[in-house]
Amino acid sequence: MLMEIRDLYKIYHEGMESEVRALDGVDLTIDRGEFVAIIGASGSGKSTLMNIMGCLDVPTYGEYILDGTSVTGLSDRKLAHIRNKEIGFIFQGYNLIPALNAYENVELPLIYQGVGMGQRQQRVMEALERVGMADRRRHRPSEMSGGQQQRVAIARAIATHPPIIMADEPTGALDSKTGRHVLEILHGLNQEGSTIILITHDNTIASTARRIVRISDGRITADGSREEVGL
Amino acid sequence: MNITQAVKMAAKSIAANKGRSALTMLGIIIGLAAVIILVSYAQGQNLAMERYYESIGTNKINIYASTWQGGVDVSRSLYDYCLTLDDLVMGVTPNSQVSAYPQPAVKYGAKALIGDSYETYPTIYMGSDQFGLCNNYTIAKGRDITHLEVDKGIQVCVLGAGTAEALFNQVDPVGKTITIGQYPFLVVGVYERKGSPVTDETDYTQISLNYMDRMILVPSSMNRIFNQNRAPDQFVVKAKDSKSTTEAITRITGFLKGIISSNYGSFSVTTDNTWQEQDNKANELQQRFLGGIAAISLLVGGIGIMNIMLVTVTERTREIGIRKAIGAERRSIIIQFLIEAAMICGIGGIFGIAAGYVGTLIVGKMSFDTILIPSPEITAGAFAISVALGIIFGLYPAAKASRLQPVEALRAE
Repeated sequence: MLMEIRDLYKIYHEGMESEVRALDGVDLTIDRGEFVAIIGASGSGKSTLMNIMGCLDVPTYGEYILDGTSVTGLSDRKLAHIRNKEIGFIFQGYNLIPALNAYENVELPLIYQGVGMGQRQQRVMEALERVGMADRRRHRPSEMSGGQQQRVAIARAIATHPPIIMADEPTGALDSKTGRHVLEILHGLNQEGSTIILITHDNTIASTARRIVRISDGRITADGSREEVGL
Repeated sequence: MNITQAVKMAAKSIAANKGRSALTMLGIIIGLAAVIILVSYAQGQNLAMERYYESIGTNKINIYASTWQGGVDVSRSLYDYCLTLDDLVMGVTPNSQVSAYPQPAVKYGAKALIGDSYETYPTIYMGSDQFGLCNNYTIAKGRDITHLEVDKGIQVCVLGAGTAEALFNQVDPVGKTITIGQYPFLVVGVYERKGSPVTDETDYTQISLNYMDRMILVPSSMNRIFNQNRAPDQFVVKAKDSKSTTEAITRITGFLKGIISSNYGSFSVTTDNTWQEQDNKANELQQRFLGGIAAISLLVGGIGIMNIMLVTVTERTREIGIRKAIGAERRSIIIQFLIEAAMICGIGGIFGIAAGYVGTLIVGKMSFDTILIPSPEITAGAFAISVALGIIFGLYPAAKASRLQPVEALRAE
C-alpha cells in the first residue's frame, strides 16, 4: 500500500458559523502503480484531498500514511523532502516561475535535491525531451503557449523521477488536442510504473483511468472502475 | 542547496526583475548619497573654519596697552617680559597700523595705491621681526625684516601677496624700492598668499583672507616717520598652544596691570580663541542638524525599499509557494532571499557611495573650494545601515511567506 488515508477531515473556521467541511471523513487507499482519477464538482473537496495527499496542506483531523510513514505531524523540513523526492506536481495554472526559463524551471527541484551539475543537466534534458520541449528550453513561460507551459510543468514534475505524480486539472486550461497530448504523457508515465493521481471534473478524461474516485461534499461517494462508478 | 546555487539563484532573480531591483537600489543610492554628502558638507564647513583660524593665526593674544606721554616704553617692557615666558610664548610683536589721514600713497614707479582706492590700498603694519610668526604670515620670496632693521630704523618692508600683485604684477618685487608717502622703502620679501580668488561674493572667509593679503609690514621703529612718533599701543603675542594661551593671558594681564597702574594708562588682553570656540559650538549644532536631515533621508530611503518589497509580496509569495511545492526547504528559501536582498543592497550601496563621493567632491569644490573626501567611518556606517534596512525589509516578506503551507502561498493572487 502506497498511500493510506484514514478518517481525514479538513475543516475551515471550525466551530464558527462559517464552518466549512472541505473533507468530511475520508478513507482512501492507493496502491503503487495505480492510475486514479478523482472526480467531483467544483467545491467538492477533491483539490483539498490532493493537496493533503501531496503534503501541500495539513489535515485538521485524521491520519495519512505515505509509503509506511505517517505524514501528519512531520516537520516542515521532512515534508519538503517528501514533496521533493516522492511527489511530482502538475497544477492547473502550471505554476512555473515567470522569471526563469523552461530549463531553469525544470532544474529547480533537482537543485533543491542537491543533484550535481552534470547529472542535473542530463536529467533536465531527459525530462524536456520526454515532453517534447527540449528545443524551447531557453524560453520563458511568457513566451510559451498554455500547452507548452503545461508540458514544461510536467517535465519539472518528472525530472526527479518521483514514484507519485499528482495532477490537479492538468488539462483544465488547455484545448482538447493539447489536453489529450498531456493525458498521453501521464499514461506513458503510469506504464513505466509511476503512480498517477489525476484530479478532474471532466468525465471523458476521468474515464481513461483504471480507477475512479468520486467525491461529493467532502465525502467519497463512489470508488471503482469506470463501470462501477457509472461513467 | 548550497551557497553557490543560492547566489546563482539570487542573481538570476535580480536580473529577471530589473525594474524592481533598480527601484530598490535607487532607494539605497539616494539615502546613502544624501547621508554622505550632507555629513561631508558639515565637515567641510568645519574644515573651512579651521583653515580660517589657522590663517589668521591660532593661539594669538591681542594686546592693547598705552600710557600717557612720557610713560614707560610698553613695547620694550612687554618684549623683555615675554622673553621670561619662553615656555609659554613663541613670539611678540608690535602690531600698530599707520593711521595718518589722508593715508600715504604707496607707489612703485608709475603704479600708485592711494588711500581712497578701497580695492587695493594695503594696511600698513609696523611690527618686529616676529610679526610674521605672530600673525601667521610666511615668507614666499626674499626674507622677513630683521631685528637689526627694527632696532636701527632701516627703511625696509615686506609685502603681502595682494599688495605685491597690485604694485608689481608679474615683476619680482624683491630688491625694488617703493615709496610710502614720501619715504622710500626697500622691498626685502613677499609673504605667502593666504586667500584665493573670490568667486562667491558672500564667502566672507575668502574675502577676509584676501583682505589679509593686502598689507605691507615695515619695522615698528618707523613710528618716527608715521603716526607722529607715537609709541605702538597694539601688540600680538603668539602662545605655544591653546593651553599656554590661557596661562600667558593671566601672566601678561598681571604684568601690564603692574606697569600701567604706575604710569597712568589703559590696557586690554584678548584672544581669538574664544571666538573660535564659539564658532566651533555653532558648527557642532549645524553638524547635528545636518546629521538629522541625513538620518531622515536614510529613513526615507529605507521606507522606499520597504514599499517595493511589500508591493511585490504577493508575487513573491506565489513564487515561494511554487518553490515549496517542488521541495524547497524553508531554509533554502530564506537563504536565497537573504542573498538576493544583500546583493541588491550591496550593489545599490556601492553606487550610493560612488554618488556620495562624487557629490561630495562637487560640493567641496563649489562651497569650500577644496577637495573634500567623506570620512570612511560615516561611509561605512551609512552603508551598514542601508544594507541592514534592505535586508530586513527584503527578508521580511520571504520569512513570512515561507512559513505558510505551500497551498496557502500558492493561492496568493
